Amino acid sequence: MNALDRDTLGAVLQPVSGARGLPNNFYVDAGTFEEEKRRVFFDNWAGIGFAKDIPEPADARPINFLGQPLLAVRDREGRVRVFQNACRHRGMILVDEPCRLRGMIRCKYHSWVYALDGELRSTPHVGGPGNNLHEGIDRASLGLVEIRSHVWRDVIFVNVSGDAPDFETYASALIERWRDFERPLFHGGADSSFRLDVATNWKLAVENYCESYHLPWVHPGLNSYSRLEDHYHIIEQGRYAGQGTEVYNPSLGDGSLHFSDFADLPARWDSAAEYIAFFPNVLFGVHRDHAYAILLEPTGLESTAEHIEIYYADEAMTGPEYSSLRAENAALWKDIFVEDIGVVEGMQKGRHALAFDGGKFSPVMDEPTHAFHHWVASRFAGG
Amino acid sequence: MSGGPEQGLDRKLIEAHGRGDGDTLTRLYRQAAELAEQAGDVDRACFFYVHAYVFALEAGHRDADAIRARLRHFGRED
Repeated sequence: MNALDRDTLGAVLQPVSGARGLPNNFYVDAGTFEEEKRRVFFDNWAGIGFAKDIPEPADARPINFLGQPLLAVRDREGRVRVFQNACRHRGMILVDEPCRLRGMIRCKYHSWVYALDGELRSTPHVGGPGNNLHEGIDRASLGLVEIRSHVWRDVIFVNVSGDAPDFETYASALIERWRDFERPLFHGGADSSFRLDVATNWKLAVENYCESYHLPWVHPGLNSYSRLEDHYHIIEQGRYAGQGTEVYNPSLGDGSLHFSDFADLPARWDSAAEYIAFFPNVLFGVHRDHAYAILLEPTGLESTAEHIEIYYADEAMTGPEYSSLRAENAALWKDIFVEDIGVVEGMQKGRHALAFDGGKFSPVMDEPTHAFHHWVASRFAGG
Repeated sequence: MSGGPEQGLDRKLIEAHGRGDGDTLTRLYRQAAELAEQAGDVDRACFFYVHAYVFALEAGHRDADAIRARLRHFGRED
């Protein structure tokens, strides 16, 4: 890091009242993006997918995570595991499309075979035709490279570097905050899943999600039932930031049918809901009767895929009786997230303005956004 | 493979490869291996057992252990 970068990051690391935002290079510079992959994504616990997409043992799903070819597999015991999606022999990609494996994973090139726990089980002709053995081939040391992974709230998280604290420690503050919601989640199915492709750097989607300041301007429809003053900030320095509302009051359909609430929730959740960006790239929302997760997939320096998945408290909510209610709920959220596209894409365009200096925060309204900037800047300032 | 019973196998194997039919590949390669073993050609038998074994593992075929046992018998698999 050069002196200029140090000064710039130093400004981001000031208290919010005197801080500037992350400089333009964090949004438009390919070199910074490359460094960000390691410092922000690989060195921490980042979301890469959803366990619901590999529901049964032997389900396998290739995932391109910032150029890293990964393979998510549900093993025979039902545990989600993530491997480097490359054969230990010649680096051939092992699985190139989602599938349910019948047996083991066979490399299509020279047919080395791996069990679902990554163990290398056969090395055909490796010692010459008809001989699968050679003293130079130690299968025990040639299993698939496993990536540290953990599933929480159905999101598959990975720590590529292997250096982060274990997930329960890394996420302990949020796990504790939402202890009331540590219940099974039931995905609503196809009508509760959608993707938005947005021409913005992934961080601007996080930043917009963190704060309620924009709500009356970008989401005027919320003014009638969820006003700006009904929201509060949520900040856990170094881990997450977001906002909550005190007036959650769902009114879907004609009122004759309601989603079940999560069991045994304390009374405060009767009307509260919270929206938290868990650093770096997963946005969560919890309400008494449903929850969602948004995985931000950086598909490029200036492009992001937002994968939105909605979950319910009770398996009955996933049945046909509730399909129109689920569709209405998904449409409601989709409308809101689509309303945000104009501003996150607009901010991305603005980051090409040479004289933009990172921006001036509102000391009162932008604290959660600054908390995210502070975390990102700290990843870079750490050497 | 050329001539005799292997010729028919050859065609069926190519067809099974074309379909990605792991069960059939397992069965046919094992059949080819057993023919070679009966003819006393251990190297040729093991070549086919290797293929039968790999496709059996991929297909989760119930014969995988038995095929592996033949390879182990000849010192070609652990």
